[in-house]
Formats: sequence, structure tokens, C-alpha cells
Amino acid sequence: MLAGASVAGFGGLGIAGEVPAADALKKQQKRALFIWLAGGASQFETWDPKASRETGGPFRWIQTAVPGYHVCELMPKLAKLMNKIAVVRSLNTGISEHGQAADLISTGRPKEPALEYPEIGVILAKELAARESKLPDYVSFFLSTEGRRRPATGFLGGSHSPMLLENSMRPEDIDLPEGLSDLKHKEREHLRELLSTEFARGRVGSQLVGGYNSAYAKVLGLMQSDHLFDIEKEPASVRERYGSTVFGQQCLAARRLLEAGVPMVKVARGFWDSHHDNFESHRELVPDFDNVMSTLLTDLDERGLLDSTLVIVLSEFGRTPKINKDVGRDHYAAAWSCAFAGCGIKGGAIHGKTDADGKTVVDGEANASDVAATIYKAVGIDLHKEYYSGLRPVPIAKENASPIDEILS
Amino acid sequence: MTFDPTKVKLTATCKVPGILYALCYDETNRKLYGAGSDWSVHAVDLRADKLAAEKKWTNHENYVSAVVLLDNVVVSTGYDGRINWTNADTAKQVRSVAAHDAWVRSLAVFPDGKSFVSVGDDMLVKLWNAETGELLNQFDGHAKQTPQGYTTALYAVAITPDGRHIASGDRIGTVCIWEADSGKLIHQLQAPTFYTYDPKTRVRSIGGIRSLCFSPDGTQLAIAGIGKVTNVDGFVGPCRVELWDWQSPKHIRTYQDKHKAVLNDIHFHPTEPYLITAGGGDSGGILAFWDMKNEQPAHKAKPKGHIQKLLLDIPANQICACGHEGFRLWSMGDLPSTDPSLGSSKLD
Repeated sequence: MLAGASVAGFGGLGIAGEVPAADALKKQQKRALFIWLAGGASQFETWDPKASRETGGPFRWIQTAVPGYHVCELMPKLAKLMNKIAVVRSLNTGISEHGQAADLISTGRPKEPALEYPEIGVILAKELAARESKLPDYVSFFLSTEGRRRPATGFLGGSHSPMLLENSMRPEDIDLPEGLSDLKHKEREHLRELLSTEFARGRVGSQLVGGYNSAYAKVLGLMQSDHLFDIEKEPASVRERYGSTVFGQQCLAARRLLEAGVPMVKVARGFWDSHHDNFESHRELVPDFDNVMSTLLTDLDERGLLDSTLVIVLSEFGRTPKINKDVGRDHYAAAWSCAFAGCGIKGGAIHGKTDADGKTVVDGEANASDVAATIYKAVGIDLHKEYYSGLRPVPIAKENASPIDEILS
Repeated sequence: MTFDPTKVKLTATCKVPGILYALCYDETNRKLYGAGSDWSVHAVDLRADKLAAEKKWTNHENYVSAVVLLDNVVVSTGYDGRINWTNADTAKQVRSVAAHDAWVRSLAVFPDGKSFVSVGDDMLVKLWNAETGELLNQFDGHAKQTPQGYTTALYAVAITPDGRHIASGDRIGTVCIWEADSGKLIHQLQAPTFYTYDPKTRVRSIGGIRSLCFSPDGTQLAIAGIGKVTNVDGFVGPCRVELWDWQSPKHIRTYQDKHKAVLNDIHFHPTEPYLITAGGGDSGGILAFWDMKNEQPAHKAKPKGHIQKLLLDIPANQICACGHEGFRLWSMGDLPSTDPSLGSSKLD
């Protein structure tokens, strides 16, 4: 019936049950939004400005809603919302090559030859999914091709793969074939279900038959949730607030999905790799980020969803203090920043500090594993919970990881 | 004295901390003034036996993007949005004006020296009384955002030799031609190749019209920047010049080279049929000389680091430039024989 339709993003879910309908229930459900600034956004032009220093570049800093904390002048809207945002300015993550750094940051684990770890978002989706939901557990938007990385499911396996939106804002190949009416489609599905049920009778325990039914159910769920990806269904005033950029449209779609009960959404915004003309590229990218993020946080808050939605803003690394010969900044992992808001986060908490030139961390150093542990703890996941890779127990968080409690509520 | 691009030779370098974006020249006293990322104005006395840059004053609160000299007063502007008038001899600030509600990118002086224009990222062209600092007029015609909805910039401005028209060039490749007296927008030239938006791979842009220059007879306008960029993470595209008959308006010729760089500055040679450009990018710094008849450069020098601004010191047959290495001088062929004082100085 649906040749080519993806069933990804429904890991471990069955067909039965309704989408959680009650608003109250939706608000209790925890979910997460992963904003991935692919390529490495500059901490100087965002969360850790060094105005008037040679390393700081030409942008000034502005006061935020948090006394004594400044952000780059390119983020005036987020500056006003800073009492809802927590910032970690003291990441020292060691790796400054795109692919390896992305692996490290997105899993919170150094590479191991014998074990592939799942991405943080995959674990969040698995842990936060409502078992009765027929919505995808994890939807990942990654339209730019440079630096595109599909969330690794690692040892958890392919059934935990996210629904990937890489070519358009809505899932592909889920429309009914031309000439097949909705009624006909339902009739066929009823017939298929009847035959399958009959076939399964007497074959109790057959995982294969159950798998077929489950797969069909997942596709049906996807077809029924197609409207969630259509931002045209939002009022014009809401669409205008998010703006006309691709990132804005994706974040609006993300909000619709989160509101409907999708537990994990990732929006990757590439590509921040500003080796040349850093200031011009950040003049372009950061105001859009500022507008979209501030709109998103406000929107989630107004809908009563922010307290239950963890918003994570991460890159694979930051950018160098030194401004290079091409007026660019290169890769830098020794002192950079990330931000959080929403579920489990203490708004206005500013953790860690770099030196006057932003070259080294001088207080509150944190690594990739600490960031992952912070994320899990923020949504209430037991850091010591163990998965199994074969017979090997694997704790969700790295054994020596320390969650950054200063930013947790 | 002959002009021979193939004999262009670096003769002096005077290092300055950071990057110099702005440059002007006091012909009478043979002094160069440069300014940039350290917020300060530096000077080099070209009459000195040994050339050295001297920090003269700091009265901006951000990068300085342009300087011009008017009757021994250096008029400077920058990313603090201000225009400052400073006495070149005493380093005393004469006047400071809040000029644009954004970064100011460039200045151009009218031939009579009585007024000048500024352009800024508020996308306005502003006309100023050079003596009083009074705002005389402002012109509004550039798009406030890129077609994709992002922040844009207004980088370049030039004035015709007769002072009757102004050209301003922005990030998305639009040149506005203004009537100086009335402020009337008489033409918009579209040169979109200077702007690369990558909707798929990196979802952002690079480029822009970085410099404009009218021909000595005022009939042609040269536009400089970078051509189609293959990787918008950097200046990975051919350095590019377009020549326009701005009055028609009609595109005349494109000059382009495989050297991957953005051209930050462009000048017509006042007497020879050459365009002289400077910049830098993925292929490194570049100083390129374009024979007007050929679409490839007649000669390229590849200096270390980007060049942000250049000016022609015709009596000394040399190019003065600034950028990542501070101030630099190149001879443009044989040195003048009649006045030894105009000759090359020793390296710093």
C-alpha cells in the first residue's frame, strides 16, 4: 500500500491506543528538542562575547535579563529571555575535527572500537516515548547536506532510528497512490488486518507476524500525523513570528510535533563553519537564530509546554579566539559554550567561565559526558540505568560523568 | 617613470596589530593613515628614512572601517556607527556624529571636498556637510533583508568625478545610482553573481559588492567582489569585477580570475587603461592588474594576507595598501627619477 514509505521513528511502539488527547496529559509528558548548530557556532558571537578584546571581534555585548551576564549584541531577543535559559560557558571537549567531535558531543561518549553508542536524542526518544502513542518517537530535521549526520542508534539497533526529514519539511512517500480513495484504503486495511489476525491465530508468539502488523500500524500512524508537518495550518501571525527562513519553519514544525506528543525532535541548522568572513556569516546566522529561538521558547511557554520540554542548543565545538588571515575563526574545542532551557533547567543559571580572551576555561570545566549526563538528569532519566549490548551492561551516562547541577532546577 | 604591472614589487611593510580596514593619504605631507580592528588610527610618514607605523589616536569604540582626509582633518567611521573628525596634526577630535544605527562600512568624498557620503548596514546612504557635520540628506533604496530573509549589508559607495551621482552597492548584488542633489534613485543595477546563497549544502550566503569605482571620465562603473562561490564557508570563488555603463545601464564586461578571493577594493588607474584590485581568500592575498581589454588579469601579485584597501600614489608610482600585515607599499614599475624623495624607503 505504501511503497517506499519510511517506518522509522516508531521504535518499540505498537498500533493500539490513541494519541494522548488531553491537554493536561500532553503537558505532563516530557519531551526534548535538540537544536544542533552544525559546523560549530562561535561562542564569541553568541553566549560568551569578549567585547573590546582583540579576540572578541567587532560585536559588542549586551546586558541580559540575568544581572551581570552579557551575550553578543546579535541576540537581543534571547537576552531578554535569559531568565529562562541556562548557559554553560566552560566546555572543554578536546576534539576539533567535525566528524569525531560530532560523534563525541552527540553521544556524550568517546569512541570505542567494540561498542557503538546511541545518540543522546535516540536515548531520550526511547526513554520519553509514550507506549500508547502512534506518533513517531523521534523526528530529525537536517536539510543542509554539509555535516549531515543521521542520529546513531548504536547498540540499540535500527528499530530506534528517527524519522529523517532531509529533503523536505514533511515525510515523503506517505500519500495514497493516485486513484486510491481514503475509503478504499481503509477497507483494504481492514481486510489486511482481518487476514493477518486469522493468520496469526494459532501462531501465538510468532514475532514475524507481530512484526508485520506493527510495521503496518506504524505507517498508518505516520500517515495520520502528516498534518503535523504542515505549518500552513498555523495562523499567519504565528508563522510570521517564526520568520520565513528554513530554520524558522523547521522550528515551527518542531513545536507542532512536540505539542502533539512527539517526545524527541531534532532541528539541525547548518552550516556554521566560518573559516572565512566569520563576522559576516554570524551577522547572517545569529539574528535568525535569535529570532527563531526566542519565538520558540516564548511559544512553548505560552502553550504551557516549556516546563515539560527540554531545549538543548549544541554544536560539535566552538570557534577559535584567534581571528585568522581570512577574517574567520577556525575550530576550537578547548573553551566554548552551549545552552539549555525548559524541562529541568534552572533559567538564568550561567555556569562556568573562560578567561578574558576566551582562550581557556577558568571555572566549571565540563566535558561531553557531563553535558549528556546533564541532559538525562534534566528530564529525569536515571543516569545509572543500564541497557544491554548483548550481555554487556551499559549505563546510560558515562560512568565518570558529572551532571552540571548548577543549571538544573 | 613608467607603469608596468609586471614589475610590481613589494617595497615596504609596516606592521600594525590586528587588521587595517581603512586607508587614506595626505599627498602634501606624504603621510598614510590607516585604521582597523584595534579601533585606532595609525600613520606612516613616507618621507622617513625608515618607514614605521605610529599609533596616533583612538576615538572609536569598535573597528574603524573607513578614513578620508579633508583639509588636514581625518574623517573616520566604523562599526560603532559614528563618524569622527580628528585634526591630523594634534590628534584632537574636532567632532563626532552618531551617523548610522548600524555598522558604517564606507565613505566617499565629493570632488569639491565640501561634503561626503557614508553607507551603513541600516542600508542607508547619508550625505554629510564635511565642515559642519550636518546631515544634508539620506537615501533609502536598498533591500533591508536578503531574498532569503537574512540580515544584509551595504558595503560600498563611490561618487562620480563630476560629483553629480552616487553609487552604493550591497550584499545581494544591487547597485543603486543616486542623483546627489535631489536624492532621486535613477537606476538599480543588478549584479547578482556577487552574492552566493547556498540553499542546500550550507544554507547560508557569502559575497556582496565590496567596492565600487567610477572611471576617470565618469562614464563607467567598476564593481568588485567575488563570483559564484562553491563553498560558502569561505571565499572559494573567482575574484570578479564587472564593468558597467551605469547611465544606460548596461553591463559591458566581466573580469574574472581563477584566484579564489574576494576583491575588497578597486581603482581605475588615472592615466593607464588598467583596473587595479586587491583582496584575499582561499587562494591567499591578491593584488591584480586588469588590462581593460582583457578579461583575465595582466598581472597578479600574491601578497601574504588579505588586502583590505589600496590607493594609488601616482607621483611616486606606487600602490599603498593595508590589511592583515599592516601597511604595505608596492612600486608600479620604474621609480621616478626626478624626485629622489619619492623613491622607495627602507623596509621596517
